[in-house]
Amino acid sequence: MIFLRRQLPLLITMITGLLFAGQYYVPHPASEQLLTSVTKWLQIIGGFALVLGVTSLFHQHAVKIRRKEAGWGYSLVLYAGMLGTIAVGFWANGKESVDGAMTAFGWVYSFMMVPLQGTMFAILAFFIASAAYRSFRARSREAAVLLIAAIIVMMGRVPLGEYLIPLSGDVSQWILNVLNASVRRAILIGVSLGAIALSFKIIFGVERSYLGGGKE
Amino acid sequence: MTFAERMLKIDRRIIFLVIGLCTLLPLLYPVGLPIKISPEVRSVYDYMEALPERSVFLLSIDFDPASKPELHPQAIALLRHAFRKNLRVVSMTLWVSGTGMADQLLTQVAKEMGKENGKDYVFLGWSPGGTAVIINMGQDLYTAFPSDYGGRPTKGIPVLEGVHSLKDVNYAISLGAGNPGVEAWYVFGKDKYRFELGGGCTGVIAPGLYPLLRSGQINGLIGGLRGAAEYESLIGQKARAVAGMDAQSATHVAIIVLVIICNVFYFNLRRVPRQQGHGTS
Amino acid sequence: MDATVFGAWVATGLTLFIFSFLYRDNPLFKLAEHLYVGISVGYTIVKSYDTVIVHLIVKPIVEQGEIALLIPVTIGLLMLTRYVPRAAWMSRYAFAFIVGVGSGLAIPRTISSFILKQVEDTVRPLLSLAGSDGVSFSVNLLNPASNLNAIIILIGVSSVLFYFFFSIEHSGPGKAVARTGILFLMIAFGAAFGYTVMARMSLLIGRLTDLIEFSDASYGRPTLWLSIVTIGALILLARRSQQEPPEAR
Repeated sequence: MIFLRRQLPLLITMITGLLFAGQYYVPHPASEQLLTSVTKWLQIIGGFALVLGVTSLFHQHAVKIRRKEAGWGYSLVLYAGMLGTIAVGFWANGKESVDGAMTAFGWVYSFMMVPLQGTMFAILAFFIASAAYRSFRARSREAAVLLIAAIIVMMGRVPLGEYLIPLSGDVSQWILNVLNASVRRAILIGVSLGAIALSFKIIFGVERSYLGGGKE
Repeated sequence: MTFAERMLKIDRRIIFLVIGLCTLLPLLYPVGLPIKISPEVRSVYDYMEALPERSVFLLSIDFDPASKPELHPQAIALLRHAFRKNLRVVSMTLWVSGTGMADQLLTQVAKEMGKENGKDYVFLGWSPGGTAVIINMGQDLYTAFPSDYGGRPTKGIPVLEGVHSLKDVNYAISLGAGNPGVEAWYVFGKDKYRFELGGGCTGVIAPGLYPLLRSGQINGLIGGLRGAAEYESLIGQKARAVAGMDAQSATHVAIIVLVIICNVFYFNLRRVPRQQGHGTS
Repeated sequence: MDATVFGAWVATGLTLFIFSFLYRDNPLFKLAEHLYVGISVGYTIVKSYDTVIVHLIVKPIVEQGEIALLIPVTIGLLMLTRYVPRAAWMSRYAFAFIVGVGSGLAIPRTISSFILKQVEDTVRPLLSLAGSDGVSFSVNLLNPASNLNAIIILIGVSSVLFYFFFSIEHSGPGKAVARTGILFLMIAFGAAFGYTVMARMSLLIGRLTDLIEFSDASYGRPTLWLSIVTIGALILLARRSQQEPPEAR
């Protein structure tokens, strides 16, 4: 039983991992066909993964409603929104517009989802301003360098800044294309090395936390 | 409490009000300052200009409504340019919540430029799997998307004639707000299938794409609303992005002033105990 | 009533409810927030069903007889057993497959794109220093491809990579390199902050542009009326919360 529960999954990970790492270097038509089929499978499995993410949300709010915890009315609103959207969506066959005319599903998307999502992220503008005022202080030399670079880039990337101080545009371009590019390149190389090390650890069974599900 | 201390602890709603006014007033009373074009946006424009008619242009609309203000104007400007150049536009999205928005914007610009669905453009829609979709498209487009967004089988659509996979795409641009986005299109797409790739992105992830720009892995980068405004100026059709630049200028200046003021008060506070110390000794 | 006009009123109302959070957390905001989560999830479910079940599974299997697609369907169903405590161990096979394939696909591609190509581009510009007609050195700072900038990039990349190397102590000459790395890092973070501010402001500009568009008389001026309603509701809620403490005593 241990084999079925622990060893076999790890074996599957190792075989598939090595197989597809090697596939990259094999141009034979059979290997290309394997890649095409398996990536097609991943598309379908990806769809099931979305359902997985949603299920935990259902459960969390269902518990809240059942136990009548504080704020359970809002959980009802959440469910109403979800079920309403699903009902309208299936009624319209999942289409937002039919022959140029907007369906009810399209209406919910354009006039409810888009404004709601857009505004949730738009209010961040206010918080970044208040956070900058409260905590963006030149407490040390490094912080001062960060501050000055930020101010130069903020000036240089707007028409007013380039109009008042033309040099700020050129300097911010130099900062972005040379200094920033070199740092981001180093970070990219470092993070990629780390990701590859992690991938190898997963393939060879050293890292097992992704398995989850049940004991062991 | 000294004046400096009181100013540092000011109610944050006053700052909210300042930002709100700095955004609202320039939108209501625009000034229209000139916009300098950056080399990275110009590269995208020049490459599109040089594409022959009926070249295959792939636009991947990889963002959701949260990033609409920055990337929607970019998409519109690029589509207007592509349709003006009579390119074959193949569009898709890797982000599920952006599907409706992508379909709507493509239909809107196509109608404006008099282009026909199936003959001049096609919207493949959304597919789950993220990077797996990119690889699958690189192997065989018709396996990745057996039907387009309207349910029509993709095999046999006139605009896709001669296009079997990403290798047959002349220019691809990914408008990305995160992952999967421009980087994924390079790593899982251009690396093996060798099509020319450009990028459009939000201001948050733009600095992180400069290494790819410098190495030529992407041939151009349209960053944020400013990039969209530059592209609109280049194609000669100024729209939302250019209109938003004045408000952008005002808010940036407001933040710079706020940061400078807060540092002035901070240094003032730090100096005071030292002065008091000197006084008593 | 025209669907677009009604939509404009709903969109404006929901936008203002969320903006009301800037004054203080209140029931209007909580209502809009929970509605947002519910609608997003509902949209994802509808789209997943339509795309995956109908177009990727049912149609190919039923109309084109691609029976092999039953394999990924089985793997997907195995993944869902994660929520059944007794059978949760079966989901391990699904995750093993997905993670194995994902890691395998990513390794060679990441090495090629983000390591080899990036290192190549750091070193290659230096080769242009010694051309067929002797050594040349371009110093134009504004041209990112100039030789001076290529050297700056090399210094930046190596010093930052060295800074993140924690296995050896940053002492002596190592300290100087690490300090250079920190300097480069601070400038890059400053640029990142500047761009983040730009991005966030753009999002706000976009929403306000929509609000201004919906304040037009053709929609019945929803922005104006709903602003009055929202502010009125906030005042009422503030008054009610002020009256409650005496009752609690």
